[in-house]
Amino acid sequence: MSFIDSIAAGLTLVGNIESFLALALGVIIGVIGGAIPGMSATMAVALTLPFTFAMQPITGILLLLGVYKGGIFGGSIPAILIKTPGTPASSATILDGFPMAEKGEAGRALGMALWASCTADLISNLSLILFAGWLASFALSFGPPEFFTLILFSLTIIAGVSGDSLLRGALSALLGLLLATIGLDLVYGTNRFTFGDPNMMGGLNFIAVLIGLFAIPEVIAMVWHPTAHLGKTRQLGSSWVSFADYKKSFKSIVRGSFIGVFLGSIPGIGAAPAAFLSYSEARRKSPDKENFGKGEVEGVAASEAGNNGVAGATLIPLLALGVPGDVITAIIIGAFMIHGLQPGPMMFVMNTSIIYGLFIGLIVSSVFLFIFGSLAIRGFKYVADVPKRILVPAVLILCVYGVFAVNNNIFDIGVMFAMGWVGYLMMRCHIPAAPFLIAFILGPLLEDNFRQSMLMSGSDPAVLIRGPITWFFWGATALTVFAIIRAGIRATKGLKSSTHEVDLSSE
Amino acid sequence: MNEKTLQMRLGLGACLMALFLVFVAIPNWVAAPSNVPNIILSPLFWPYTLSAFTGLVGLGLIATSMRLPVTDETLNDPIDDLGPARMRMIGIAVIMLVSMFLFPRLGMVWTCMLAFLATAFLVKTRHPVTAVICAILIPLILYAFFAHVAGVAVPQGNFVRLP
Amino acid sequence: MKLNVKRLLAATAFGALATAAAAEYPERPINMVIPYGAGGATDISARTIAEPLGEAVGKPLVMVNVTGAGGATGSVNVQNATPDGYTMLFARVGSHSVNPAMKATLPYTLDDFRFVTVYEINPVACAVSPSSGIESMEDLIAKVNEGGVTYSSSGVGSLLHLAAVMVLKEYGVEDPLNQATHIPQKGGGAAATAVLNGTATFLCTNSSALANFVANNQLVPILVTTPDPVPGFDAPTAADEGKPALHQLVGWTGIAGPDDIPDDVAEKWGAWMATATQDQGFLEKMTTRGSVIELMDPAQANEFIETQYNTFRKLVDELGMRIEG
Repeated sequence: MSFIDSIAAGLTLVGNIESFLALALGVIIGVIGGAIPGMSATMAVALTLPFTFAMQPITGILLLLGVYKGGIFGGSIPAILIKTPGTPASSATILDGFPMAEKGEAGRALGMALWASCTADLISNLSLILFAGWLASFALSFGPPEFFTLILFSLTIIAGVSGDSLLRGALSALLGLLLATIGLDLVYGTNRFTFGDPNMMGGLNFIAVLIGLFAIPEVIAMVWHPTAHLGKTRQLGSSWVSFADYKKSFKSIVRGSFIGVFLGSIPGIGAAPAAFLSYSEARRKSPDKENFGKGEVEGVAASEAGNNGVAGATLIPLLALGVPGDVITAIIIGAFMIHGLQPGPMMFVMNTSIIYGLFIGLIVSSVFLFIFGSLAIRGFKYVADVPKRILVPAVLILCVYGVFAVNNNIFDIGVMFAMGWVGYLMMRCHIPAAPFLIAFILGPLLEDNFRQSMLMSGSDPAVLIRGPITWFFWGATALTVFAIIRAGIRATKGLKSSTHEVDLSSE
Repeated sequence: MNEKTLQMRLGLGACLMALFLVFVAIPNWVAAPSNVPNIILSPLFWPYTLSAFTGLVGLGLIATSMRLPVTDETLNDPIDDLGPARMRMIGIAVIMLVSMFLFPRLGMVWTCMLAFLATAFLVKTRHPVTAVICAILIPLILYAFFAHVAGVAVPQGNFVRLP
Repeated sequence: MKLNVKRLLAATAFGALATAAAAEYPERPINMVIPYGAGGATDISARTIAEPLGEAVGKPLVMVNVTGAGGATGSVNVQNATPDGYTMLFARVGSHSVNPAMKATLPYTLDDFRFVTVYEINPVACAVSPSSGIESMEDLIAKVNEGGVTYSSSGVGSLLHLAAVMVLKEYGVEDPLNQATHIPQKGGGAAATAVLNGTATFLCTNSSALANFVANNQLVPILVTTPDPVPGFDAPTAADEGKPALHQLVGWTGIAGPDDIPDDVAEKWGAWMATATQDQGFLEKMTTRGSVIELMDPAQANEFIETQYNTFRKLVDELGMRIEG
């Protein structure tokens, strides 16, 4: 069957009103679900799954994909408006999105998030269609040693999100790494810092830590100083993203999309690291480096491009290998199997029409995302106008419900509260929270992959340099660390010379 | 508190934490089997490594704090009512603790209503009537959504159960 | 969405009726705890039975995923729940026979639960990558004796972990713990991927988790542990190979409550399950995924689990695999 035939077969399969309705409905459910903290894209997909059982396979799967895509974008709405990421993938969006909202530019931030998301989504879908086979075989060459070096490299992101002091960023990251050691040991199954509590044995819930670290400190800060926000504009105003903004951030968006595609095609990394990596790369390359973290529109664009770039690409290992890349695709693979479809290399031969039908549906989903995303922004933007001292208790309650819903465990609410105080103390001490979060995500991956490498090689460290992929990441890590140290030395020199001047003038 | 003092205190804190981890926390609260063939595979290896790094970063913070100039510039915005502010902080801590105690007993919805009210008045809201209305409505709406649309088993408590 | 609104209305109406009439179990929705994540084998099995079961019960069943620590977090949740029959657990082979056999630190034992049924048996299959050159168990054992063989699992104390060890032991490997290396992964999907990309040599897991890879020729099955062949798996059974002891090595899903749930509640569950497992749609969905539907009453279920637990426990003690820390 030629390419054209395949596309025609796909078209006949999706060229009906149900498919498009399902896709549209999916995007709507996703955006709303993603916009509710704790609900997250994962839960929205899990909730939609039972409804797809009775549908045609393609319709059901398109519905789920719509939810997935909508959810990843939807998460950025509360991240920008109330500093609570709706879905873990949108944590990086907080870094610049929330300061923009504080400056009264929520509309501009949300608009940019949408434009960046749709662009990245499109790039990601096209990559899936064009490079699925190639990227899938590439993903299979990622064993534990390759993962270890990739994650080691990803940890250098910390330097990019540390703000004004690299050492405090490193301290934050170490706290995150230490906190992530709680739970059962991977290799021996023994307890680490669990104090015999079964709730701790599974490790601290990621979303509880995430929401505790970002949203709850805002509540506590409000309690400490209830009138601090008075006099600052927080309205959505008439600010809207301009084409100039888009043009300025376009490079970062494209770069972020490809970072997302790359990390998305490797199972087991997920969207949050992609967003952070894209963000730190954008910051490194930007002429307005100083403005990042203080409300830079390019920062929002980069993080949203990073996480939406993942959304299409996670389907590469799913369709081409039958391997789910994250929790969401693990649920989606369930939907395939229930309909008797078995994702994997054979599916490209046996069910070509379904594969191409999906491809066409995915391209259309980017358009739907743009339409319904704009509507959602219009609906949610009034949140920015709610009096802050009503909004804050409401956020608290919303977080309580959301965090409970993730794992149906009251203990997680306690974790969220406790992390709220940790986050508040860090805020008072000017320790950035983002490195903490990145380390909390990547730390266990780093340790596990290191130990798996050691197990597979019989404790021979040579396995860590076993192939070109590992060499590449070792090299990249070395270069980045070198650049960070050089920048650090320059900064201290600059500081010294400025103190020197102060000393002189005081003489 | 200026930048210099902060950096110094953080450095000392990090060093103390590293010592605490190495000498108290890890030996007592991390279990490792006795027959680990290789030290780098032991469950203890990673926590010890992290503790060592924490100590190093602590030393780094102390070292840089020495080189920072002494300034009068304070890092956080000053606050007018220090005493009441401290009371409010205790207040929010109490709200959190009491909520944790009440969630399984009184049910999530009723507890959240109380927590909403308490927090709203703790931050001295300018819209008391709106606050009361929201305190009643928001937990109910969230309950209806999570319990009946999302199918989450929201804790109901032992007294008044919602449908 | 529509369904839920209906359910909500129905629940309200029923609620009003129930308070008027004498309170009889169940008078409100029942929380069903699934100790594993959404999309996993337990979750899919639980949600499939929930449909006909909900009809039999007459009250909504609220599916509650409480994940963590290989099923322990969710199990403890039910262990500590009020024993009124409104919190029940979907117990699984991992959480209720392998875990108790392997982990001394587990916060619960089998005695903390009362099983009302076991309804599903999953055959276990062992598979290798086609590029490994291994075509049969004999090849695998030969490789083990050469050294350097590894196997992946979804974590320490999981069925996959124990299954690989048990199979090797049955095939005459004296010291499977040191002659082959265990490479634990985070979750069953990752365990299969590890064999796929060559990180590990083989894995033994539920056939349903492998069906997809086997159908796509990405993995080659070399053994199934049931007496009967598994459709789609072109591999000898344990019976063909003359290893009847391996028949004990199967996955299962059952329903349990805290150990002191009243007798009438347990009886009702028995009746409901008898109705639910007759449902054609349910049977069809489960069997296409390779499961065997086998309804056991509480006594049979208890005996089945006890036997399996004792087999595993004996192996664990013999090899010194028990986790004490």
